[in-house]
Amino acid sequence: MSETKKSKKTSRRKFLIRGGLGTIGVLALGTYVFRNNLRRSIIELSETLVAPYSGTGTEANLWIEVGSDNTVTLHSPKVEMGQGTFTGFAQILADELDVNISQITVKAAETASGIVDGLSTGGSLSIAQLFQPLREMAATMREKIKMEAATKMGTSASSLSTAEGIVSGGGKTMTYAEAVADVSDWSLPDTPPLKPLKDYKYVGKPVPRIDLKAKIVGEPIFGMDAQMEDMLYAAVIRPEHVGASMKSVDSSSAESMPGVVKVVSKDNWVGVVAESFPQALAAKRKLKVEWDIPKTWTEEDLRAVIKVGNGDRMITQKQGGALDAEEESTVSMEFSSPIGAHAQIEPNGAVASVVDGKATIILSTQVIGVTQKQVADALGLELDNVNVIGTYLGGGFGRRLNTIHAVRTAIMSKEVGKPVKYFFTRKEEFQHDTFRPPTHHIMRGALTEDGDMKSLEHHYASGDVAYNSVIMPEALHTILGADAGALRGGNIMYDNLDSRRAVQWHSDLPFATSWWRSLGLLANTFAIESFIDEMAMKAGKSPVEFRLAMLKNEGNSARIRKVIEVAAEKGNYSDTANGNRAMGFAASIDAGAPCAQVVDVSVENNQIKVHKVICVFDCGIAVNPDQVRAQTEGSIIMGMSASMHEKMGLKDGKLYPTIYGPYDMALMRNAPKEIEVHLIQGADVPLPVGEPPLGPIAAAIGNAVKRITGKRLTDLPMKLS
Amino acid sequence: MKISFTINGSPQTVDVDGHTPLLWVVRDVLDLKGTKFGCGKAACGACTLHVNGEAIRSCSYPIQAVEGKELTTIEGLGDGDNLHPVQQAWMEEVVPQCGYCQPGFIMATAAMLERIPNPTDEDIDANIVNVCRCATYYRMRKAIHKAAEIKNANS
Amino acid sequence: MTRNTQSYFMGLCIVALLTLGFTNLHKPAGETSFALLEKASEEALAEDTPFDLMMQVLTHKRCVNCHPSGDRPRQGEDSHYHNFGVQRGADNHGVAALRCEGCHQHENNDFSGVPGAPEWSLAPIEMQWEGLSRVEIAKSMLNRKNNGNRSLAEIVKHLTEHELVLWAWEPGIDAEGNPRELPPVSKEDYIKAVKDWAAQGAVIPAE
Repeated sequence: MSETKKSKKTSRRKFLIRGGLGTIGVLALGTYVFRNNLRRSIIELSETLVAPYSGTGTEANLWIEVGSDNTVTLHSPKVEMGQGTFTGFAQILADELDVNISQITVKAAETASGIVDGLSTGGSLSIAQLFQPLREMAATMREKIKMEAATKMGTSASSLSTAEGIVSGGGKTMTYAEAVADVSDWSLPDTPPLKPLKDYKYVGKPVPRIDLKAKIVGEPIFGMDAQMEDMLYAAVIRPEHVGASMKSVDSSSAESMPGVVKVVSKDNWVGVVAESFPQALAAKRKLKVEWDIPKTWTEEDLRAVIKVGNGDRMITQKQGGALDAEEESTVSMEFSSPIGAHAQIEPNGAVASVVDGKATIILSTQVIGVTQKQVADALGLELDNVNVIGTYLGGGFGRRLNTIHAVRTAIMSKEVGKPVKYFFTRKEEFQHDTFRPPTHHIMRGALTEDGDMKSLEHHYASGDVAYNSVIMPEALHTILGADAGALRGGNIMYDNLDSRRAVQWHSDLPFATSWWRSLGLLANTFAIESFIDEMAMKAGKSPVEFRLAMLKNEGNSARIRKVIEVAAEKGNYSDTANGNRAMGFAASIDAGAPCAQVVDVSVENNQIKVHKVICVFDCGIAVNPDQVRAQTEGSIIMGMSASMHEKMGLKDGKLYPTIYGPYDMALMRNAPKEIEVHLIQGADVPLPVGEPPLGPIAAAIGNAVKRITGKRLTDLPMKLS
Repeated sequence: MKISFTINGSPQTVDVDGHTPLLWVVRDVLDLKGTKFGCGKAACGACTLHVNGEAIRSCSYPIQAVEGKELTTIEGLGDGDNLHPVQQAWMEEVVPQCGYCQPGFIMATAAMLERIPNPTDEDIDANIVNVCRCATYYRMRKAIHKAAEIKNANS
Repeated sequence: MTRNTQSYFMGLCIVALLTLGFTNLHKPAGETSFALLEKASEEALAEDTPFDLMMQVLTHKRCVNCHPSGDRPRQGEDSHYHNFGVQRGADNHGVAALRCEGCHQHENNDFSGVPGAPEWSLAPIEMQWEGLSRVEIAKSMLNRKNNGNRSLAEIVKHLTEHELVLWAWEPGIDAEGNPRELPPVSKEDYIKAVKDWAAQGAVIPAE
C-alpha cells in the first residue's frame, strides 16, 4: 500500500488518493465530509439536528476503493439500519463511476481505518449529507481511471469511454482494475462536470435493496451474529427500580452454576460470564442482590414533572404578542403523550476482545466513533488501540446512540482474558431503554371574525431528547437554550397569522430519555394538528381550506401548501362522516420535508380501525423512490403504533411492561391494508425521509375519530372508552 | 445429554443440558445465525423455525424435545440455490428494511401456506403475529399473497 | 408405583360407591335429578366443604384462563386476553399456523417463562367456565353433553390425575421470572375434596 498523497491539482472538494485500504484494493479515493463550521452547524442543528462534526478533521472519512477483482467498495461512514442508505450510496456511485451496481459493495467502516463519521448515523440524513460528496468523488475517480487507462493504452483520456467497469477506446478495452493497477502518477484530475440527474440509470429509479438477499436467506450480518474464536457469553444484572442502585451482591450460588467462568462485580452492575448464553442467564438468576431504592416513582410523579409551567422555560418561536389565556375568545386544549420504548427487535449488545492492550469491538451502533472513545476512556487505552467494527443494525430508531454495553463487554473481556459476547435481555432492553420522553402540551388559539385562525400558541413540556446526549456537545445547549430534539415539530409552521408562539418547558426525569425516531415531531404534531382541526370545526370550515388560509404562498410554506392540496385531491378528502366511517387530515414539516396525510378510519365497538392512508410527501430528490416509499409506509405504521397502542408505565417504581405483547404494538392485523404514497420532488436535493412522515399520522387519526364520534382524543395512545 | 435430530436435511447430535432452548443450540452450537434472538419470551417470533413442519418459537423449546425430529431453519428453507416461494415473494416485494425479524416472518408464513394455501387477509391477521419494528407489514401482506400464488403455480 | 396403585384403588372405591348409591349420575344428567339434588343439599354451600374446596380451585384463574367463555384464551394473574390475539381454532389448539404448541411445550420453560404441560390447549367451548357460578360450573361439569360424555368416575379421574389440570400447582415462573400464583387450596386437599365430593354423591348445592 502506498502512502497517502494529496491531490496536486485543486478542486473545491479535497481528495486523498492511496493504493488501497484493504486486501484487494488497488486504488482508493478519500474525502472529508461533515465538516461544517460552528455557525453553520448550529443553524443546521436547529433545523435538522445534525450536530457538528466532532472528528479530528485530519483523516478523510469517506473512501471508495477499486479492487483487483474489478469491484468497487465504499467504506461507509454511516451504518445501515434499514433505511436503505447503502443501496442509495451504491446507486449514486454506480451512476457516476459507470459501473454496474452489482459490482459495488458497501461496508460499514471500522474505526481502525479512521474513516467513520465522528458523530452518528441519524436524523435521516445519510443520503442527504452524502449525495453531493459521493457524486463528486465517483466522478473524480472515474476520471482518474480514464487517465491511468489512457497512459497504459497510449492514448488520451478524452478519447476513452467508460461503462460497466470497463474503459474502452480505439478498439481496446481494459477493466478499471487493470487500469489502476500499479499506479505511479498520484496526481488527481479536476472533478469533471457531474452527469445531469436525468441521465442517471440508477439514481431516481426503484432499484432493489443491495442487502435484500442477505436479509432473506438469513446471512449473519448483524451485531448479534458476530462471534470470535473461544468466545464466552455474559448476562448482566441491573436495577429494576427507577433510580435504584446496588447495595450488595452475593454471587456465591451463581459462581457454582454450570459453565460459569467468572462473576464480574462493578459499580451498580454485575456480569456473569459463562460458556454459553443459557448458562450465563441461569446463573444470573442465582445472584442475590440488595438494592437501594431511594424513591418509588409513580406515574403521577411523572405527570407532575412533565407539565407545562414546570421546569426550564424557553420561547422557541415568537411572532406577535402572546394570547391571553383568560380572554373569552381564546380556546385552550391540553394534550399528552406517554413514555415510548424503542423496542427494536435486535437487542443491544457487543462482542469484545481485550487482549494485550488492544480492544476489538463488534456491534450494532449508530455512533461508531463515540463507542470507540468510550471504550478507550473506560479501559485506559489509546484510541488507536480500540477498533470498533460496525455491523448491520437490527433496527436503530435512535436506540443505538448510547453504547454503554460496549464498555461493559470490554471490561468483562479484559477480566476473563477472552472474547466475550454480551447482549441485553428483553427486560433490560425495556427497563433500560433511552425512552422517548413523555410530553404535555397546551394549545391556545383565537379566530378572526371571519373564522380564520388569528393566533396560535403551542406550549410543550418534555424530558430530555437532545440534552445529556453523547452526540450533543454541551456547549450547544448554552447556545441553543432549548432542547433541540424536543423542539422538533414544536414550532408552528403556519405563517399567515397575526401571532404565533411556541414555548418549551424542559424538566429532568429520573430515567434516561433520548432520540426516538422523529423525536418531538410525533407528539408535537399530534397536539398542533388536532387543535387546528378542532378550530376548523369551530369555525365551520373545511380543515383543508382552513389550513391553506394559514399559509403564505412562498418558500417552505408554498411547499407545505402543495402537499396539503395534493393530499386532499388524491385522498378525495371529505370532512363529513359516513356512519361510523370518516376521513382525517393532518400535515407537518420536518427538516424541510413537508408531508400531508389523509386517513380513512372506522370505529366499531370503540375500536379504531385505520383502513387506508394516503400520504403526500415532498422528499426532494428521491434517490430510490421505492425505498422512500418503504420508509414512508414504515413511518406511518410505526407512528400508528405509537399513537394508538404503545405506552410505558410505572408500577411499583419499575418501568413496565418488559415484554412485547403487554407492550402493545401495531401488528399485521392493525396495519392499514392500503397505503398510497405520492412523492413530490419539490427540492433539488435529497431531503431526510426516514422521519418526516411520522408527523401527521396521530393527528389525522384523531381528527377522523372526532368526526365519527364527536369525541376529541387528547392523550396518546388514543383509546375510546 | 445427547440429543439427535435432523436439521436442514443433515443429521446432528449435540451434547448439552436438555433444557437448553433450541434457539441457542441452533445459533451458537450449530452456528446457524439466521434464526434470531429477539425477546427470549416467545413473544416476538424472531426465533421461529420449523419442527416437523410446524412453526415453533425456538427460544421457548427445550432441546431435549427435538430428539428424532426434523428441523428446518431459514438457511434450509429454500432448495439449494432456489429460494422458497415465500423468499421469492419477499424479494419481489422488497419487504425487509433492517431485516432482523424477517427470517421469523418468512418461516411463520411458509408454515402457514402448508396449511392454508390461499390465505385471506383475515387468515394472515390471525396467523401471522410476529413483531416487526420497522413495520413492514404492508409489504409483507402483499408478499404473503404473492407467495401463495407462486407456490400454487409451482405445484 | 405405590401411588398409582393407590389412585387405582381409590378410583375403584369411588366407582363402587357410585354404583351402590348414586346410579342416577351415570345417566346423562337430567334437569329433574339436579333439581332434586339441589333441594336436598342446601347445607353444602357452607365453607370448607369438599364442594367449596374443589370450587375454590376450579374457579381460580389457573383453571378458568383456559376455560374461557369465547374463542380467546386468557392469561396472567389479571386474566387478560392472551396477547397477540391468540384464538381457539377448530381443535382448541389454536388456528392453523398459530398453534398452542408453537410456544407451549410439555413442560414449563424457565428461560422464556412460557408455561407448558402435555396436551396444552383450551378446554372445548362446551366446557366454558368463565363467568359461570360455582353451581353452574358443577352442573356443566356433570352434564354429559358438556363434559365430553364423561362419567362421574371419569370426571374425578380428569380432575385429580390429568397432568394439564395438576399443572395448576406447578405453574412455573412468568416472563418476568416471578412465580405464578397457586390455587388457594393445596393439591392434596383439592384431590381429597374432589374425591370426597364425588363419594358423598357429587351433590351440587343450591345457589
